[in-house]
Amino acid sequence: MEPLFESSVKEVSRLVGLQEKELALLEVADRAANELVVSEFEKYIERKFNAKVPEVLRKHDLMGVPISERYGGRGARQLLQSLFMERLGQLGLGVITFTDVHQCLGSLTIQDWGNEEQKKRYLTRAASGDAILAYALTEPEAGSDPVSIKTTYTRDGSGFRISGEKYLISNGSIASNLIVFAYPKGIPRGLTAFIVDSKEAGFSVDMKLEEKMGLFTSDTALLSFDGVRVPKEDMLGQEGKGLHVAYSALLNGRLGVASGCLGVMEDCLNQVKERATTRMQHGKLIGKHQLIQRHIATIASNLESSRWLVYRAALKKSEAEKSPSDLGLRLEADRQTAIAKYVSSRLAFDSADRAVQVFGGFGYSTVSPVAKHLVDTRVARIYEGTDEIMELKIASSILGKEFEAYG
Amino acid sequence: MKEGQEVQLHLTGSTTINAKRERVFQLLTDPSFIATTLPDAVEVALISSSIKVRLRITDRVPPSSARLLAEGSGSGSNLKIISTFSLEGDGTTTTRLSWVADAEITGLMAGLGSLVLRGFAEKKVGEIFAGITKGIEGAGR
Repeated sequence: MEPLFESSVKEVSRLVGLQEKELALLEVADRAANELVVSEFEKYIERKFNAKVPEVLRKHDLMGVPISERYGGRGARQLLQSLFMERLGQLGLGVITFTDVHQCLGSLTIQDWGNEEQKKRYLTRAASGDAILAYALTEPEAGSDPVSIKTTYTRDGSGFRISGEKYLISNGSIASNLIVFAYPKGIPRGLTAFIVDSKEAGFSVDMKLEEKMGLFTSDTALLSFDGVRVPKEDMLGQEGKGLHVAYSALLNGRLGVASGCLGVMEDCLNQVKERATTRMQHGKLIGKHQLIQRHIATIASNLESSRWLVYRAALKKSEAEKSPSDLGLRLEADRQTAIAKYVSSRLAFDSADRAVQVFGGFGYSTVSPVAKHLVDTRVARIYEGTDEIMELKIASSILGKEFEAYG
Repeated sequence: MKEGQEVQLHLTGSTTINAKRERVFQLLTDPSFIATTLPDAVEVALISSSIKVRLRITDRVPPSSARLLAEGSGSGSNLKIISTFSLEGDGTTTTRLSWVADAEITGLMAGLGSLVLRGFAEKKVGEIFAGITKGIEGAGR
């Protein structure tokens, strides 16, 4: 197992306890991550989606890590899911984005909100990798504020028709099924979630969004829905309760991103350690220059500062899921997840910035192993809840409900 | 150690070739044959450039082993590989080829780090030996 990840696993196992089969899953994740190193690097240089990611995850039966075993998944609890994402995070946030959207925003949302029929129909295919999921909430004019969504649905016989546009949708052009949010036409209330088949007439990928600062190996698209038909069986959750579905999905995705950021920091630490112990300048290894040591110390501290916040949030989330009627527990899990994501995404970005600094001029090259982390982690401070939204959530959790910015 | 960065890799591997050991040895130590089996083996696509590599075969012990030295430079990078291969026959027409290689990479390419370089090297070495195997098996007995 990769040494930094192995030390995480051992420490978590010592303090919290991991079962044999959980350790076995992490061993497999480690092998899968090793298999993806070269393709992820090559695709990053080519600025193309890395199709090897679903292929390798499928090969190792890792497409449905958090999906219940009842539907063909691995049934991972949140802590195990976080450790799995931590290992993949060493490859970069491109891999994390694909996996987080398919597993956390997609599969877990169907698992949390779907009826038995929907779970059987979609989760079994998501777990096997026959289906790839996407989550379509954001629109050109509705980012952090889902209330501004303009996509609408109308009733059509025994089903619905959805029209509108969705923007910056990860896995958008490769997904077989998407969780789409829309308001009833003419009524800006009662947001509703649907599972949409991308093969339905009226669905189109308007544009693959390749003009990104980073995240080159992740698929991002602008999607168009022109009267796309959805059978009534594919409404997800109750009609009018889409905001609850959307927010709970974002919570799942948020913890996935936070976990992936741990892996990014681990890779930054591995890379700077190698650079500092093999590169000579001014007659000595650069690791012997104390100002380089300061960067390395900070990256190591960033990693440790984030790691336990993420694990704590993961444990709290599982605890809250076991007591769904305990609102206080759910809010606490929500708060800890916000803190974990807020801290780990910022510290991953800081770590990547420091890693580039340790690499010097070569660090600025897009082929250096650390530049991708710098440009990729910037988005972790934006997607699945911006820094500012996290700050508002954290502050209102301290001040009280009457201080919530958006009531 | 010189100024700059140096990455060292140690690679091992083996494959089975459907040809007699003597024939495999003869072809593996024939630079003109080896050259025909390495279409883009020395191309470093990662940095959109290539390193020209000179190959030298030494320490021949027919038909069981030899050393292959590769040295090259280009695009601000230097590469030095010392590898040894050994052949084990089973008395029929199958030969087990095993190799050990130590690579020393300096300059810009070293900056890619051992994680990517190792993965890339393993992939390329696999392609090279697949090409050699195919070449030997297709070269007749």
